Amino acid sequence: MRGTLTIARRELASFFAIPLGWVAIALYLFLTGGVFSLMILNPSTAATMRPFFSVSAWLMLPVIPAISMRLFSEEFRSGTIEPLLTSPVSEAAIAVGKYLGALWFMLLMLAPTLAHVGVLAWVSTPAPDAGPIVAGYASLVLLGMLYLSIGLFISSLTSNQTLAFLGTLFAILLLLLATTLGADRLPEAMRPLVYAAALTPRIADFAKGVIDTSHIVFFASCSAWFVLLTIVTLQSRRWS
Amino acid sequence: MLSVQGVHKSFGSIRAVRGVSFEVRPGQVVGLLGPNGAGKTTTIRMITGFLPPDDGRVMIGDLDVSRDSARARAKIGYLPESAPHYPEMKVREFIAHRAALFGVARQGRERAVGEAMERCQLGAVASRRVGVLSKGFKQRVGLAAAIVHGPSVLVLDEPTNGLDPTQVREARSLIKDLAKDRTLLFSSHVLSEVERVCDRVVMIAGGELRADGTPGDLVEKTSLTPVHVIECARTPDPLPILRKVEGVADAKLEALADEGWVRVRITPRAGHRDLREALAAAARGAGLAVRELSIDRPSLERLFAELIERPGAVGVGGGA
Repeated sequence: MRGTLTIARRELASFFAIPLGWVAIALYLFLTGGVFSLMILNPSTAATMRPFFSVSAWLMLPVIPAISMRLFSEEFRSGTIEPLLTSPVSEAAIAVGKYLGALWFMLLMLAPTLAHVGVLAWVSTPAPDAGPIVAGYASLVLLGMLYLSIGLFISSLTSNQTLAFLGTLFAILLLLLATTLGADRLPEAMRPLVYAAALTPRIADFAKGVIDTSHIVFFASCSAWFVLLTIVTLQSRRWS
Repeated sequence: MLSVQGVHKSFGSIRAVRGVSFEVRPGQVVGLLGPNGAGKTTTIRMITGFLPPDDGRVMIGDLDVSRDSARARAKIGYLPESAPHYPEMKVREFIAHRAALFGVARQGRERAVGEAMERCQLGAVASRRVGVLSKGFKQRVGLAAAIVHGPSVLVLDEPTNGLDPTQVREARSLIKDLAKDRTLLFSSHVLSEVERVCDRVVMIAGGELRADGTPGDLVEKTSLTPVHVIECARTPDPLPILRKVEGVADAKLEALADEGWVRVRITPRAGHRDLREALAAAARGAGLAVRELSIDRPSLERLFAELIERPGAVGVGGGA
């Protein structure tokens, strides 16, 4: 898809050209740094990154919508969507490019936390088990991919960034709550479907160090589904 | 060549554009003229592929903008109204980004960006962020971004809107320069601008095509009659003298500040376009002193006002 990487590169650069990108990274690193110092670098506990991964998963709830809220909303608000949609690139290239740009930014936000792993390995004897750490990072990346795709889709529905932020936050919360607390109140026949869509058991598996291919397929296909919905939304805006 | 063929566009119950057709030949500069809400921007959005027409089609050369959209869009350079931009990007970076989006090869991109910037005189602000520039410079950045891929058709939507008089003059001169080697369509509701810049005018109002031709032709072909203006002595009473002249349909008196002088506005009958000699002879014969006699020919402005207020009242034919 021509133009995808061009759009992704611009999107990534834009995060670092405005305060939002730096603030998101700084807050995330500050909070995860606090968790690492207070809960992980503790001589009386086992050498594990588990608290970091569980706190990080919760931190993604506000951080990812903050990253995704401007992806399309800002283009609609400023009118730049018009030159973008009249350039010879497809709606798919635009949506995927923006998604990739936001994903790269999220990976760059996670990358400095690898220093925590290095410090833990350096000060711990025996060294921490690599399996749960790799699985933990995989869970963060997959969860981030899904949240970003939801945020991308919601930002394609509105020109208001605040609405895009709140919409994404509530959509993710709804997904988390409906598949946990709400599942027990549903009719017996519907429960397997809801349990299959639940995120928390899958994240719990990753936390144990289990990298299940079905979980990877689940997160990847759900993310692809929301990116596809974004493409359809862009096309319908053009044809409406 | 750009060809708009009977395009229609509705938004719910509002019929924004109704069967508009016109062509722009290579090298022509055509002004799309109409009041606010006439359907100019919707027409332009259909031309640039931002909106698909409900009916009819737009062709860029032999490419249908709806069916072969990406290839057709690659041939168009488009500056939307208010020149939207990414404020955080630097000027050179923004133009290079647009070049990359339009598929300008990496090895030729630097040169293409340099040429577009030079043409739009952006050298002095190349490293500045677009968001901090003046409106005039932002417009130039938009123009450079629109021409960086060497489009054969350039479409500008109200390119001088919101600019101060100096910036308007600079923008006009830049538009004329850009029009030298491509087909150019630009919309405006400023008549003087269209008259100065365009080879041809397409007038739309209420979503319909109202007139199409060169500014001179439109005024010449119009059924609006030229009004004759005479400044003459108050006595003897000029009205009976002038009304007797063959071809005069009506004569109206206007008071002037000068003591003893009046202005008479004479409307000729159909088919009598120039009555100056007859009027002068009648005045001379009646001993009426005349200090000025002129024809107030129908202007594009008058034609435009008539077309907007009374569609069909002005007989101007279409045609490229």
